[in-house]
Amino acid sequence: MLPPFRLARPKTLDEALDAIGEDQVPYCGGTELLLAMGAGLHRPDVLVDVKRLPELAGIRLDGNDLVIGATERHDRVAEHPLVREHVPMLAAVERAVGNARVRNQGSIGGNLCFAEPKSDVGTALIAFQAVATLVSPGGRRALSVEEFIAGPYYSAKEPDELLVDVRIPLGGPEVRAEYVKYQIMERPTLGVAIAHEPETGACRVVVGAVGEVPAVWTFAAPDEIDADTIASEVDPTPDLTGSERYKRHVTGVYVRRAVDALMSRGS
Amino acid sequence: MAEPRTEFAISVEVNGTTVERTVESRSLLIDFLRSDLALTGTKVSCELQVCGVCTVLVDGRPVSSCTYLTVDADGRSVTTVESLSSGGKLHPLQEAFVDCHALQCGFCTPGFLMMAKGLLDANPGAEREEIVEHLEGNICRCTGYRPIVEAVESVARQQRAEAK
Repeated sequence: MLPPFRLARPKTLDEALDAIGEDQVPYCGGTELLLAMGAGLHRPDVLVDVKRLPELAGIRLDGNDLVIGATERHDRVAEHPLVREHVPMLAAVERAVGNARVRNQGSIGGNLCFAEPKSDVGTALIAFQAVATLVSPGGRRALSVEEFIAGPYYSAKEPDELLVDVRIPLGGPEVRAEYVKYQIMERPTLGVAIAHEPETGACRVVVGAVGEVPAVWTFAAPDEIDADTIASEVDPTPDLTGSERYKRHVTGVYVRRAVDALMSRGS
Repeated sequence: MAEPRTEFAISVEVNGTTVERTVESRSLLIDFLRSDLALTGTKVSCELQVCGVCTVLVDGRPVSSCTYLTVDADGRSVTTVESLSSGGKLHPLQEAFVDCHALQCGFCTPGFLMMAKGLLDANPGAEREEIVEHLEGNICRCTGYRPIVEAVESVARQQRAEAK
């Protein structure tokens, strides 16, 4: 049984911002929060259910950005036509998050706010240089997802802030992207995302789950991606899914596989 | 705005019957079903959304009832394993589980049945690959999974044939 708490169900953003605070935490799908509370790791006084806030919902285009509301569930993101058209790699990542029940309950925003190191979503979003929109009574601010995921189980969101949405810049010709992951338990051991901008040739390689936060490398062209350098520079967390040495090795293997997948796909 | 509260009056449709109750904010759907409504067909095990034993459908979608607040089911329909058979007649999925020996101890079976029902209701002719992917998040320690996949596949195959 969960420890006792009070639940608020605001209908507007202003009500929600009034309700949240140090000990009054946003609640959406519960796939991370309720587990933490059940395990006794977290005991907030109030859960503020953000599922009724229209500003935090919806998937749409806004100028050159694909905007995904923070409360959108993984299954919705995976299936949404705009996501599948513009960022098919993200759709594929979302289709394989957790299991079918987690995808039916958990939200993209909750996933980012919990900053669980063994996650796929943040790694993929960082490859696309996605930006998080935060709102507080003082106004709005935008932060790259890379900065937003500040540490293990630690996001840059302040207690008086809500994550509103995630914005993926589209602009220019379509970015080619690949994601490969290695997983033996319910969470990934390692995920590698590559985004390649055909115009400039530039490649971003993001390695997630293997260390405390996703790490980013940039290269001038796909054939310059150096898997050995990345493997030597990652900071793996040794655990039941592998030692540091093992995870370093697997990182090199999966970076090479991601590059092969990118090259074999063509432009 | 609505002040934070510890109790909520809810109205939930459970297996086709409207149920009105007052529940605590911390009430989990699994406890509501098993303790408040005495629907003990749904089991609970890992309480981490990993094993799938506690799967029920909310508005037709499978969720882990061990990690789902009862208040979130307010105004929605919940379907449990008890809804499958009627008047002593088994649901086609249950028949297939028997025919394919898709259970031994049976503890995981309600979860597998409800996962399968969620998939086949949305996609009656689901292919094997899709079935395997969909059931990936459910654990069975007896059967080795093959008979379970075969059981679900046999129902899907039959539904594909009937649709032609």
